[in-house]
Amino acid sequence: MKRLSRAHLLWIAVAVVAAAAVLPFWLSAYLLGVLTAAYYFGVFAMAWDLLFGFAGEVNFGPTFLIGVGAYAAGILNSVLHWPMVLCIVAGAVAAVIGGLLMALPALRLRGPYFGVITLVAVLLLQYAIVIFAGITGGEIGMTVPDVLSIDANVNYWYALAFLVVCAVILYTLSRSALGLILQATGQDAIEAQALGFNVTKHKIAAFCVSALFSGVAGAMLVFYMGTASVDTVISIAIDVQVIIAAVLGGRRTILGSILGAVFLILANELLRPIGQLNTFVVAAIALAVILFFPDGLLGHALRAGERE
Amino acid sequence: MLALQILIDGFAISSLYALAAVGFTLIFGVSGVLNVAHGGIMVVAALVGWFVAGQLGFGTYIGTVAGIFAGLLMAYATYFIVVRPIERSRAIPREETEIFILTGTLLWGIMIEQLMAYTFTDNPVTLRPLIGGVVNIFGVRTPRNEILIAAVSWAVIGLLWLLINRTQRGKALLAAAINPRGLTLLGFELSRIYLLVWTIYGLLAGIAGVLLASFLGVASSNTGPLTASAFAIVVLGGLGSVEGSLVAAYVVGYLETLTAYLVAPTLRPIPPLLLLILVLYFRPQGILGRR
Amino acid sequence: MSGPTRLEIRGLTKRFGGLVAVNDIAFDLRANEIMGLIGPNGSGKSTVMKLIMGIERPTTGTIKLDGIDIARWPSHRIARAGVGIVFQHSRPLHRQTVLENIKLALLPDSLLRLAVDPGVDERARAIAERVELGDVMDRHPSTLPFAYLRRMEMAKAIARDPGVVLLDEPFAGLTAAEVAAFSKLIRSFRVENRAVLLVDHNVKGVAALVDRVLAMYLGERVAEGTAEEVMRDETVRRVYIGGKIEATTQRGRVAAGTAPLLDVADVSVLYGKAQALDRVNVQVREGEFVSIVGLNGAGKTTLFNAISGLVPYGGTISFGGRSLAGTSAATIARGGIVQCPETRELFGDMSVRENLDLGGQHLAKDARAAQLAWLFELFPILNERQSQAARTLSGGEQQMLAIARALMMRPKLLVLDEPTLGLAPVILEQLSKAMEQLRRTTPITVLLGEQNVTFALPHADRVYVLEHTRIVWEGDPLRFAKEMGTGYL
Repeated sequence: MKRLSRAHLLWIAVAVVAAAAVLPFWLSAYLLGVLTAAYYFGVFAMAWDLLFGFAGEVNFGPTFLIGVGAYAAGILNSVLHWPMVLCIVAGAVAAVIGGLLMALPALRLRGPYFGVITLVAVLLLQYAIVIFAGITGGEIGMTVPDVLSIDANVNYWYALAFLVVCAVILYTLSRSALGLILQATGQDAIEAQALGFNVTKHKIAAFCVSALFSGVAGAMLVFYMGTASVDTVISIAIDVQVIIAAVLGGRRTILGSILGAVFLILANELLRPIGQLNTFVVAAIALAVILFFPDGLLGHALRAGERE
Repeated sequence: MLALQILIDGFAISSLYALAAVGFTLIFGVSGVLNVAHGGIMVVAALVGWFVAGQLGFGTYIGTVAGIFAGLLMAYATYFIVVRPIERSRAIPREETEIFILTGTLLWGIMIEQLMAYTFTDNPVTLRPLIGGVVNIFGVRTPRNEILIAAVSWAVIGLLWLLINRTQRGKALLAAAINPRGLTLLGFELSRIYLLVWTIYGLLAGIAGVLLASFLGVASSNTGPLTASAFAIVVLGGLGSVEGSLVAAYVVGYLETLTAYLVAPTLRPIPPLLLLILVLYFRPQGILGRR
Repeated sequence: MSGPTRLEIRGLTKRFGGLVAVNDIAFDLRANEIMGLIGPNGSGKSTVMKLIMGIERPTTGTIKLDGIDIARWPSHRIARAGVGIVFQHSRPLHRQTVLENIKLALLPDSLLRLAVDPGVDERARAIAERVELGDVMDRHPSTLPFAYLRRMEMAKAIARDPGVVLLDEPFAGLTAAEVAAFSKLIRSFRVENRAVLLVDHNVKGVAALVDRVLAMYLGERVAEGTAEEVMRDETVRRVYIGGKIEATTQRGRVAAGTAPLLDVADVSVLYGKAQALDRVNVQVREGEFVSIVGLNGAGKTTLFNAISGLVPYGGTISFGGRSLAGTSAATIARGGIVQCPETRELFGDMSVRENLDLGGQHLAKDARAAQLAWLFELFPILNERQSQAARTLSGGEQQMLAIARALMMRPKLLVLDEPTLGLAPVILEQLSKAMEQLRRTTPITVLLGEQNVTFALPHADRVYVLEHTRIVWEGDPLRFAKEMGTGYL
């Protein structure tokens, strides 16, 4: 594979964003809608990759954090009629609290056990939503009075801007001094301790950051769609897709997750004509990537420069 | 009366859970794999059984056998297409093999679910009971089939116990779970042992799937929840401990039945999940776990 | 000239459940001094290091760093207080360059710092130069040879100028030439007012480097003094070598010149990038008893694992004239090479009888019964304890079970890896007698790897000495006793 340096990456990224920004002048509202959803998905995937690549924790239930943020924002807006921005902030705070709740067992449990907790968290949240159907709308879901915009183009630009801002922040974080420390703590906690870093503090921080972005993205998604339901923000299917997106794009690359998310959502849509088998095909492709390109698309390209 | 009903129903469902969970735990104990496509194998067995019995008209008995066989084939497919390539892959660092197997089998499970829904149907299907009729146990009308299910589950578990503890092949299996390296040094090819375990697993899951279809019915969408409940039982009982899985299966089965009867059927899965979290917090190795 | 006391350790004890890993250890570590902690496997020396670094909490005792008791502090606090450690197995960050890896060690423990201080970059470069990595600073770890990676770990450990430096097996995986260069680097720390504590198996390598040595065995202090004093100490020699080195007259069973049954030719083994064996040559003829003596960490286990097909290697290993390359471990075992590993690998939860039965699985039923009967004669205690779980046996009984189980396979070549590890002298007697009988009554060929020379010598037809990845001596036992007697340790 061709060598891809970090400098090249920057220029490519700028070009891609510029191209993406002018897409609304070419594409139908339908396709724009698909891409909008893909962009939010991209943020979900990046937040997951941060937790995995940097805290070394595999989260099998990212929709727990996403769902907490989404529903917190949604409920505050529909029941208490808080203004949208405040709801999004509240959603972020709620998600961070959720992240802390997740972090606590993570610090004490090993691999598969922690994974089980994350899955169970999602299931329990689902049941909680159903039980408190009065406020949450239960299985049918709820609508929120405020939306970001009715115009497909405007929604698209909001999503793109959000994605770019999140990408810049998360990428900068990953390349910063803090990012370096997080990587070390995620890879070998004992050695990181021996170098003088408080691993517990850093892992909790990683959870909170991942939760923050997941929660905000979840809340924004609700205000984009105008609805919130278990199927769209708290589902195992979405959990799986988030993980696939991140792994497809390349673990620990952050930006690769965006590639993976866009690919996944587009593939799902484009394969819709073949009916029920579209999920099958996407899952099959993802499995093939895992077996043959475990480093993911971007990861593979970047790694060529590191191995001789 | 209600208490007796709960006792009987709980026993039947628990026995079925036990059968499914034992296979899951065996695979983990011997080959170290957490198979997230577990539910998929059961679903395949159920749907193929239904199809052969009903749609193709071969009747329940042949359908059952076909279903079990399909489960076995699906287990082999899982091993050879997903698990083994990941374990042998040199592109994946050792520490991450487990995560990749989890993700890989997750994807495989989704593929199975979708394929089943597409090929057959995504509606719940049932298998006609192998034995018809109803029996009166102290005033509770219980389908004979339900008793058969409990009996078959225990018979299979009993056979498994005999295999593992009384035959040489079985002891090799046990040894592989305790110390694979030691077994290799004694001249045993681990690849053959793994093949044996996956065979046993396929049969167990296949039988469980078929029985479940004749008891409560199975839909392709059950893939996830079935895996989740097996997972919960196995972690509760202690990963790798067969006895633990048996005990935990009954704990979960009865918790679910109690919830279904006394609270609401839709909320069945909640108490076991809560219990799981409590156990993971205070005793992560499970009730009888040792790893 | 040693300086002020940097580290003062008193009454240090660590218990893991019922096992006492470290028992009442006390010593001082002074600035400008390099101290060595030596001991065989299981002596507790690595645990002492972990206790100092805060990776384990002591059960009792004090560890005073410049007067302050750091015994129960968390690791990161101890590190910031001025203790640096180089682990034996370190994983660098592969996606960062060497320079960036070193910078990591210089970062403050802060969640809020995103930018790296400019001073840090300068300092990181200076440190890289100091450990002679200046030329490769901008390369990625996966492109560099192992010795460079070890230097990088060293750089990280001294980056913040610690007063105490801990080195866990610094020479493991290095070739002899690299060991010398590395020693030079370590020696240079001495003049920087640092106190250095190192742990290693390579006693000779350590001896040349250290000012003082503390020898440990089974968690306890056994001797202390200069390297020469400790190596001559009676107890130390007994612990390492087993006792007096004496050899009996030769049996001369096998005519020299017959083709070897086992031929290990130019075999090298790399674990990742670490050198574990360096062009080793060993021959074992049919009916011979060959002993390979060497300390823990010399490479005996690696050699045996290569022979058994458990690790990849360069070079050729042939058995009965045919190369073993490409053969699976299980096939090699069934083909006649049976290893009884150092860790024994028993099936703890299964009974003695079940363990033996598994060993005999490939035999016909009556052959198995005959073999079992013979083994019960050789090791009567196993007959007594037939239905007991292997886990509940004593150390010596477990070793006998391991050997018996291996013999159930009717091996052509029996490979024994450190059978005497951790056993009491009385058990060694029994084992020795069993070995005798084995030799006398069967045509078995044995390859024994041992640290305990006293045990290894009397039975052997020939002896090899393996030292830090290389074979350094070969000959018959009488010559060994004469030549290596005093120089061995």
